[in-house]
Amino acid sequence: MTDIRAVRTDLSRIRRRGPLARLGEAVLRNLANLKVLLRYPSAMVGLALMTVFIFVAVFAPLIAPYGPFEVTYTAERAVIRLSAPTTNNLFGTTNQGMDVFSQLVWGSRVALMVGLLSALGSVLLGTLIGLFSGYFGGWIDEVLMRATDVAFGIPFLPFAMVVISIAQPSLGLVILLVIFFLWRTTARVIRSQVLSLKTRPFVWAAKAAGAGHMKILFLHIAPNVLPLSFLYVAIGVQTGVMLEAALSFLGFGDPHVQSWGIMLNAAFQAGAMRTAWWWVLPPGLALSAFVLSVFMITRAYEELLNPRLRSI
Amino acid sequence: MQGFRRYVIRRLMLLVFVIWCILTIMFGLFQLLPGDPTSIFIDSNFSPDMIERQKDLWGLNDPIWLQYLRYIRNMALFDFGQSFFQIAPVSEIMADKVKNTALMIVPALVISIVLGTIIGAIAGWRRGSKFEQSTVATSLFLHSAPSFFVGILVLMVFSYQLRWLPPGGMVSLGGPDGFWEMIVARDYWVHLILPGLVLVSREITGPILLLRSSMLEVKGSDFLDILRAKGLPERQIVTHATRNALLPLVTYIAVMTGLLFQGQVLLEIIFAWPGIGRELVQALNDLDYPVAQAALYVMALVTLALNFIADLLYGVIDPRVTYE
Repeated sequence: MTDIRAVRTDLSRIRRRGPLARLGEAVLRNLANLKVLLRYPSAMVGLALMTVFIFVAVFAPLIAPYGPFEVTYTAERAVIRLSAPTTNNLFGTTNQGMDVFSQLVWGSRVALMVGLLSALGSVLLGTLIGLFSGYFGGWIDEVLMRATDVAFGIPFLPFAMVVISIAQPSLGLVILLVIFFLWRTTARVIRSQVLSLKTRPFVWAAKAAGAGHMKILFLHIAPNVLPLSFLYVAIGVQTGVMLEAALSFLGFGDPHVQSWGIMLNAAFQAGAMRTAWWWVLPPGLALSAFVLSVFMITRAYEELLNPRLRSI
Repeated sequence: MQGFRRYVIRRLMLLVFVIWCILTIMFGLFQLLPGDPTSIFIDSNFSPDMIERQKDLWGLNDPIWLQYLRYIRNMALFDFGQSFFQIAPVSEIMADKVKNTALMIVPALVISIVLGTIIGAIAGWRRGSKFEQSTVATSLFLHSAPSFFVGILVLMVFSYQLRWLPPGGMVSLGGPDGFWEMIVARDYWVHLILPGLVLVSREITGPILLLRSSMLEVKGSDFLDILRAKGLPERQIVTHATRNALLPLVTYIAVMTGLLFQGQVLLEIIFAWPGIGRELVQALNDLDYPVAQAALYVMALVTLALNFIADLLYGVIDPRVTYE
């Protein structure tokens, strides 16, 4: 008897919680599941690297000896131009006398911000579009999927370059453009997942119990696509950072921030590839390490979701 | 076959619709330009009267819907107007640049696909071997490495440090000219080595990983057991399996060529390759909007066309696909 009462109070407690809280719980549960990733050695390496990047980004003001645009001087007040690495300038200086190490440290903030914002934005948009498109079908599906087709037809980098040169280059615009590029894949994947989920018995059961469309969509179906959405957040971080670096390298980045791509652009323009390796290698290697660390985490997570990818 | 025809027509209509949407987006974008083309193009010495005449000539004083219709017609007919800075019709410039880009992409793609297929098939066949594991690990690494940094690195090492290869361009100054002279010239191939290598290092990963996984699937098929029962040597069985595993590659190739433009712009800038991506960057820097617009349009068209072909090819090659 006590058992039944316990179950009943439990049920009523569940009911009393709002739908948003329940969706939030599903998100947390999925995050907790990420613990399994620790079993993958490659994911461990990726997570360790990512922790370093986050640490550097958070404590950038303490780690970087100079500001991102600060010119360094010798004791005689002469600008230190294109100096090879010294104890004062760990990674040397640029042709304008800026400290490469400091720029690198500040750049980690931009990378993390661009990665996170563009990934979260695009996955939110893509997941919503995929959910609505897959669940409702009909003309809603038709309109949303044709929009996705159009998005797939636009070559991103060229398109983004045109938009940026028409508007003003800014970090916000770059993030927005990346979001508009990334949502399409998420939307398609989530849609096909929803198409299969909505025929499952638990959806009929919810319908029979009198649940409305929104309730079924966000409380019963959405939690089941969350693992996939998470995967696309990770992929989004990687792609977002890469695209920002690519755009900046091509000269379409925000001139007011110091990102790795902008450093590479400045180095490339100044011909540092011939003369100053210390200016080219740090931003390039940092970018590669960042992308690889996300990739290692993503790959392990992907294998977790899709056992067919496992190599052994 | 009835179903197939209906499918083709539907896909074709979709293609036209998508192109129309992209054109409309582009028209809107270029309307947002601050000022009008005359402010970029025309000398400040022009009198207001002359500017007005020029605007009339370009149809800039017409109502916007008329400009829009004219724009759609011109784009559909590949009539992109005159470049602001180069004395040539934009369509001619485009044809030349697309050719140059193809001169980099096509050889790299052929190598990637042929080599990638072989390596991927072997990796899939020898599941669990050292070869398979190292192939997969290397491919994943290359696939996620930022290719433009790889490009910068090889340029630094092989051109600037070792001085083995030219640091960029498609041919040396005063080198061969014209399509046929060029592709038989040693000069062109020497210039192609570095950008080609970077391109292959990234593009080869796709076919390798794809072939490996589709080989794993084919490997369990019954027909292979029948071949074995017939007493065929292992080599021939691998060939049979590979032919079946090739199917997904067909769609992938088109998607891959479509996505190529992403990285292509970067490689063309790094290696000063006079292709369409570099042209777009230059046109945007020079505010040469007719050229920029055409370049974007041509890239979108190529992407769409290849995807379209891939969709159709898949059904033609694999008779198991139905269109109902």
